[in-house]
Amino acid sequence: MAEILMNTKDLSIHFGAHKAVDGVSINIEKGLFTTVLGPNGAGKTTIFNLISGLYKPTRGKVLFRGEDITKLSPIERINLGLARSFQLTNVFPTLTAYENIRLAVQAHSKIGCKLFMNFNRYIKINDKSKKILEEVLLYDKKDFIVATLSHGEQRKLELGMVLALEPEILLLDEPTAGMAIEEVPTMLDILKNTKEKGTTILLIEHKMDMVKQLSDKLIVIVNGKLLAQGDREEVANNPEVMKAYLGGGMTDGTPS
Amino acid sequence: MTGLFYNLIEMIIKRRKVYKNLSISIGGLIFFTTLLLFVTILPHVSGFSTKVLYSRIFILAVYGMSYDILRGYTGFINLGHAIFFGSGAYIVGIFLTHFGNNLTVLALAILTVLIYSSLAALIMGKIVFKGGGVIAAAMVTMALGEIVRNVAERWREVTMGADGLPFRVPDMFRDRIMIYYYAFLFLIIMTLALRQFILSPTGRVLLAIRENEQRAIFLGFDTKKYKMIALQVAGLSAGLAGAMFALLNRFANTDLLTVQQTLNALLMTLVGGTGTLYGAIVGSAFISLTQDTLLDLRAVHPIFDRWLLFFGSIYVLVVLFMPSGFVGLYNSKMAKLQVRLVQRKK
Repeated sequence: MAEILMNTKDLSIHFGAHKAVDGVSINIEKGLFTTVLGPNGAGKTTIFNLISGLYKPTRGKVLFRGEDITKLSPIERINLGLARSFQLTNVFPTLTAYENIRLAVQAHSKIGCKLFMNFNRYIKINDKSKKILEEVLLYDKKDFIVATLSHGEQRKLELGMVLALEPEILLLDEPTAGMAIEEVPTMLDILKNTKEKGTTILLIEHKMDMVKQLSDKLIVIVNGKLLAQGDREEVANNPEVMKAYLGGGMTDGTPS
Repeated sequence: MTGLFYNLIEMIIKRRKVYKNLSISIGGLIFFTTLLLFVTILPHVSGFSTKVLYSRIFILAVYGMSYDILRGYTGFINLGHAIFFGSGAYIVGIFLTHFGNNLTVLALAILTVLIYSSLAALIMGKIVFKGGGVIAAAMVTMALGEIVRNVAERWREVTMGADGLPFRVPDMFRDRIMIYYYAFLFLIIMTLALRQFILSPTGRVLLAIRENEQRAIFLGFDTKKYKMIALQVAGLSAGLAGAMFALLNRFANTDLLTVQQTLNALLMTLVGGTGTLYGAIVGSAFISLTQDTLLDLRAVHPIFDRWLLFFGSIYVLVVLFMPSGFVGLYNSKMAKLQVRLVQRKK
């Protein structure tokens, strides 16, 4: 078994009487691609919010490399190497694509609060920004205002921003949601390349074809509770999973 | 005809590429040379009131730009911004009245203005950036402004209260032509410094905070720290503008500390264009010149005794028809032209 990079213990958050996430304990192994599956409203995004520090849990712990990070702020968690994207595209809409990426590179470079030096003089940051724009296939659109880009391009841009942080673990919330069909494969390629570089990826998704291609591990969440976790085949063929989430009959990874 | 126009613009844009490092286009060069000539010759051919009017435009422009750093770049509405401006004026006045009228005292006064503004910004930031949103911040800063105004009004031994504080200035600031040039120099230096600030990595983070603070946090930026830096820069600039204003008017009163004074800065940036920096300069000129013209018109017809009525209407019209202000409108027109040129080439 590979080294566990991050795990949660009995993670729970209650909004009033509603138990959005209830006693979820999951393990994410280093270097692997783990997918969180579950129907709408199952609490997948809430788990992400708890892991990334946007919400404080009612009960339970988040551990990163075995250390308790439950009380750390989002910024401190990012400095540890934990980056996330959002379900709704979350970028800087009136800046150019290039500036969006450059801000992310700047955040990672730890150059501090430089006050009176023109940004164009930071050659390393500018070069790296261009490289990342090439990686996410947006270089020819670098001077476009982000609000004028298509939804798929904005998603790629956001992924580029998260990649610029060079995280140890990447939390991606439905990165292909709302994308045009023809854009999905390029997104998957980018994810594949990222995985091959050794980044641990935790992804929320409900598209089965995606899971089949890329995932090593599956985690299934239903009604805020953990239903199953483990290797892809093992979980996909788990009768309980088939019954609860897919309504039965999933042999080749696609619902029949 | 339009074709000719497009060719002209295309030429300018091409030239712009040649001079990219200087970021000067031919049109811009002509414009700025004319402006510079006008500004240089003006004090020698105009009367007392015009000189003072233009000096005031220059100084208030810096005050407006300092406000734009907060509202236009960081997205933080500060209704107590007059604290910095008014206190800067008062500190210079108090020093020159109580410690002697010479340049050493003035230098000490400026130093005090800087320290005071920095501390005031620190205290204001500590309270406001605790959270609570834009409206809460606006209310809290307004209350802070009122506190400072009240202190100035009640502390009669030092500030002369509501009567205002008249004072003498060192000799080098007595000549109206000289102070006009100082004010102009002050504007140029502050514009360059603030421009450099917003083009720096820190300035870019401020834009990110205005656009989407949550994303900025999730990139790992300590947004509170950056907002504090913005408040410091804005506070120091406004404090210096206040000090210059006092040297120009040789007078400080509680009007400089009122919410109205803060709103002046807000209106300057609104009319000129928020988040453009130069907008504040245009806004300052527009407001002061309109005000001056309307006041002059009182001699023409008694209805202009109610000049504020017209002044208000002009504001409403500007905000209604140019929501992005003069500079904002210019920028978007230029961007559209550029897009059309690219399409024409295809």
